Amino acid sequence: MSGRTMDRVVVVGNGIAGLTAADTLREAGFDGELTVVGDEPHPAYSRPALSKALLLDGDDMTSHELPPTGHGAKELLGVRATGLDLDRRLVALDDGTTLPYDRLVLATGSRARRLSDLPEEITLRGLDDALALRSRLASRPSVVVVGGGPLGMEIASGCLAAGCRVTLVSQGPPLILQLGAHLADVFVKAALDRGLTIVETEAARFERRGGEARVVLDDGTVLEAELLLSSVGDVPNTEWLADTGLVARGAVPVDSRGLVRPEVAAVGDLAAFPTPQGLRRIPLWSSAIEQAKAAARALVHGDDAPPLRFQPYFWTEQFGLNLKAVGHLPLEGEPTYVDGEPGGGPALMRWPHADGTGAAVALDYRVPIPRLRRMTRAVA
Amino acid sequence: MKIVLDRPRCEGHGLCEEAAPQLMHLDDDGELVLDREEVEGADAALANAAARVCPVAALRVG
Repeated sequence: MSGRTMDRVVVVGNGIAGLTAADTLREAGFDGELTVVGDEPHPAYSRPALSKALLLDGDDMTSHELPPTGHGAKELLGVRATGLDLDRRLVALDDGTTLPYDRLVLATGSRARRLSDLPEEITLRGLDDALALRSRLASRPSVVVVGGGPLGMEIASGCLAAGCRVTLVSQGPPLILQLGAHLADVFVKAALDRGLTIVETEAARFERRGGEARVVLDDGTVLEAELLLSSVGDVPNTEWLADTGLVARGAVPVDSRGLVRPEVAAVGDLAAFPTPQGLRRIPLWSSAIEQAKAAARALVHGDDAPPLRFQPYFWTEQFGLNLKAVGHLPLEGEPTYVDGEPGGGPALMRWPHADGTGAAVALDYRVPIPRLRRMTRAVA
Repeated sequence: MKIVLDRPRCEGHGLCEEAAPQLMHLDDDGELVLDREEVEGADAALANAAARVCPVAALRVG
């Protein structure tokens, strides 16, 4: 163990980042008092499932459920951290109590960015959001989704599959910023084939007029629907750290092991870590897992722990298509087809980078992910 | 303890293999193969770690 005694570890956040950090602390040999604080009343669950299987699966309400935890931590659920005193090593909670720590993991994630304060603007971020949306879809309301990223498109896909008439509002073509033009084109075609209406605009806002909420585009076009959703990015939950000096540009910058100082780690959606493109947040499931593993080991073993090294893994399911990608997105230009051919059918693709490495993508194509990862390495 | 795979749910993300390569792997077709189903002790912990990173909840250990 590095330096001082390590009897008490507090993990603030009970998403996959906090959960993985707690598990990894145990694997790394920490057998002291472990406390996990989660602001939701639910046990940790799979967030990616919320906009995929959970929206689509008929009566199956379990696609987000993770197995019971084995870390033996004291779990404080439905409790929110409100402050942090780095000098006294205390976390303040909204129930008025404080938690002392020797090591601390910051894993409070992020929340949906909103375009208004109107209650009619629905977002999908947590389990309660997903369950509420599911029940709203049962009556097949007309839907407007503002936001053409992967989540907005998954939500639109789920609403279409539920039998709703759906309009998606996007700044430029959907998915182009996240996936690049080649793949975005494949998904947009599939979405249009399934009946999605896509409206491109520079900007959209929510407003209430005559008691009814609606979406107004920059050219004045008004979109009305029974269900108004937005999916316009996420905002890290860093307010409770405001007095600590740990927050920069809305996120918590960390070193290559996920540490902000020797006794404090930050992992998951709120952490900006070193990548080939500079300090970045990569708010993905697999990213949270890898960050949490590296940081938990660093809390226990210090500089002897290996730094974070991983290739981001991203997947999406929408409009009947299934995409798995390893490497940094978006993907510019045209790929090499390792198998399959252009046109949107099943294919294995590779986008070469200048240094010989590449990004690998499977579209409707079952492939061992280790093979996808190998495809990202430099070719001799 | 026994590892149980809900095959229709499995989407082949392979995060379980990364967590527990001693116990499971994706075959050439991207289908998950459990190399061991009965696990005890440290292997059971490993199997649980694999189950917990599965984003589609396709693995159970019990």
